[in-house]
Amino acid sequence: MKSKFSLVIIASLCLTTLMTFLGCKNPTEKNTQKLEVASQNDPLKITATIGMVGDVLRNIVGDHGNVDILIGQGIDPHLYKASRGDVVSLMEADIIFYNGTLLEGQMGDTLVKVSTSGKPVYAVTDNLQNQENYLLTDEENHYDPHVWMDVQGWMSATEVMVDALSKLDPKNASTYTSNAEKYKSELSKLDTYAKESIATIPETQRFLVTAHDAFGYMGRAYGLDVRGIQGLSTESEAGVRDIEELIDFLVQQKIPSVFIETSIAAKNIKALIEGAKAKNLEVSIGGELFSDAMGAAGSYEGTYIGMIDHNITTITRALGGQAPEKGMNGLLSLSH
Amino acid sequence: MEWYNLDTWIVITGALCASACAIPGCFLVLRQMSMMGDAISHAVLPGLAIAFMITGSRSSLSMFVGAAVVGVLTALFSQWISQFGKVDRGASMGIVFTSLFALGLILIVQASNHVELDASCVLYGALELTPLDLWHWEFLGLSFKAPRAACVLTMILVINITVIGIFYKEFKISSFDPALAKTLGIHSGLIHYLLMTMVAITTVAAFEAVGSIIVIAMLVVPAATAYLLTENLVIMMFVSVFFSIAAAILGHISAILVPSWFGLNSTSSSAMIAVMAGCLFLIAWIFAPKQGLLQNYFIKSKSHNKAR
Repeated sequence: MKSKFSLVIIASLCLTTLMTFLGCKNPTEKNTQKLEVASQNDPLKITATIGMVGDVLRNIVGDHGNVDILIGQGIDPHLYKASRGDVVSLMEADIIFYNGTLLEGQMGDTLVKVSTSGKPVYAVTDNLQNQENYLLTDEENHYDPHVWMDVQGWMSATEVMVDALSKLDPKNASTYTSNAEKYKSELSKLDTYAKESIATIPETQRFLVTAHDAFGYMGRAYGLDVRGIQGLSTESEAGVRDIEELIDFLVQQKIPSVFIETSIAAKNIKALIEGAKAKNLEVSIGGELFSDAMGAAGSYEGTYIGMIDHNITTITRALGGQAPEKGMNGLLSLSH
Repeated sequence: MEWYNLDTWIVITGALCASACAIPGCFLVLRQMSMMGDAISHAVLPGLAIAFMITGSRSSLSMFVGAAVVGVLTALFSQWISQFGKVDRGASMGIVFTSLFALGLILIVQASNHVELDASCVLYGALELTPLDLWHWEFLGLSFKAPRAACVLTMILVINITVIGIFYKEFKISSFDPALAKTLGIHSGLIHYLLMTMVAITTVAAFEAVGSIIVIAMLVVPAATAYLLTENLVIMMFVSVFFSIAAAILGHISAILVPSWFGLNSTSSSAMIAVMAGCLFLIAWIFAPKQGLLQNYFIKSKSHNKAR
């Protein structure tokens, strides 16, 4: 018996050393195979986690690449879980883009692992993360990942994408750069539209109350006081106290409208409206905003510009400002 | 249906996971303590959380140590409570593992505010994601690449087989006849805790792939299926491993195929593997030669005829 036990101890010690040895050996050599794929004439296979990233990529690459988006319409990226199909897409991709700043929850970890195998993987918020004082944080020092809400922030993200694509596919780099310049000029038009529209809202009514804290950057860029029921991530449930504090805030500021989000159930916002009603304040739903996911693929709201246009136009009109009914480009459907 | 490299790895990882679980699972089933697997797989959670808090890393080694310690403690505590507290074994197990699991949950939620140690990842696992996390190594000039989860599970499988191989006689006698084991001078208690340690370590290795809930199915179901078909311990272990592999293959294929019949995307493979293990058990139960449903029916009707 005794000798058997010591045998086991020796055997397990050997295995542990083997395990640690294997665990420590990380690959350092980068895989150059992928670059050869890009130099052929096949369109690049590009995978993006969220639609906002994927749409910008489509505008940059044009016919030179196919963009696959993992987290589609109406899906909440905070709670998203990768399926087999998504993993296939990640493994087949020549290059992968994600938002970063922990938006993608579990996925972020996995993507970092993918990148250690030599595949180019980029967080589009890379530049912003290096920029001092750009990223917002909550009281627990989590980054606010919803950078796309500020059009200028997303222009910086566009630059990350162009640089990465040009590095992978130098032959078409000039096309990418010129496409991106064109797209960025549209974005700066959108930025101006947003600034001008929000400025028409009476100053005492510039309050944006939504289901979760997704609009911090929009608030900072365009001058809105932003409140959300849930925190930065929808993973944590809203507490009764959060809702009650917000109701008091609504009553105090006499806020006319609150907003629901397409990727989040409306129950908390409804509770908010009921609560305000009990305190004799009629609050209406100002409309549905696209916070973490864009509209239906193929529609104007299913593009990044359309999504922001929709949000800005809906907010402006609901809070008593002036904005054209069909938005900046006259392309919005009238459901808002 | 398209078959990728990825699918091969998912099946291999699933099969390794189920096989590594099936071997200690056989002894759990034989000792009529299947739910000890449930208890330990949940109770190791605080061990994981504490190991993570102390070392600050999710490296496998510290996790294994933490899990093994708490796994043995679970077995110890439930033994004590049932001995000294005069409650039956099931109840004492229920007290210990729910309390420990709850403690682990509190620790994880607390820790996850500062770092990413995700409760849902521990509970459900992510078999589909395991092929993305590769280990590279070189051996005799050849370079290998394999998912980390598959490597870890292979080691656990080897450890489990080795331990059972070395202590086969002791395990067998103390499982079937504790009284005889005592007269032969076999320390049943040590064997018991050795088995509990094996279960704890296996569960931790399986966490990442299939989560702490599906792992119970892998511990118990293939072993129970094998027990229906044979009464020979060695054959039982082989049969349970066979059913584990079959469940992994069938499970992953049906996880891809079945939802596609309804126009949906592929579903969770680990859950489907557990469902398939259940189906295999059902089939074995109906057709088993000695204790099967059909066999019983025929024996009954035969004896009925004879009586007439």
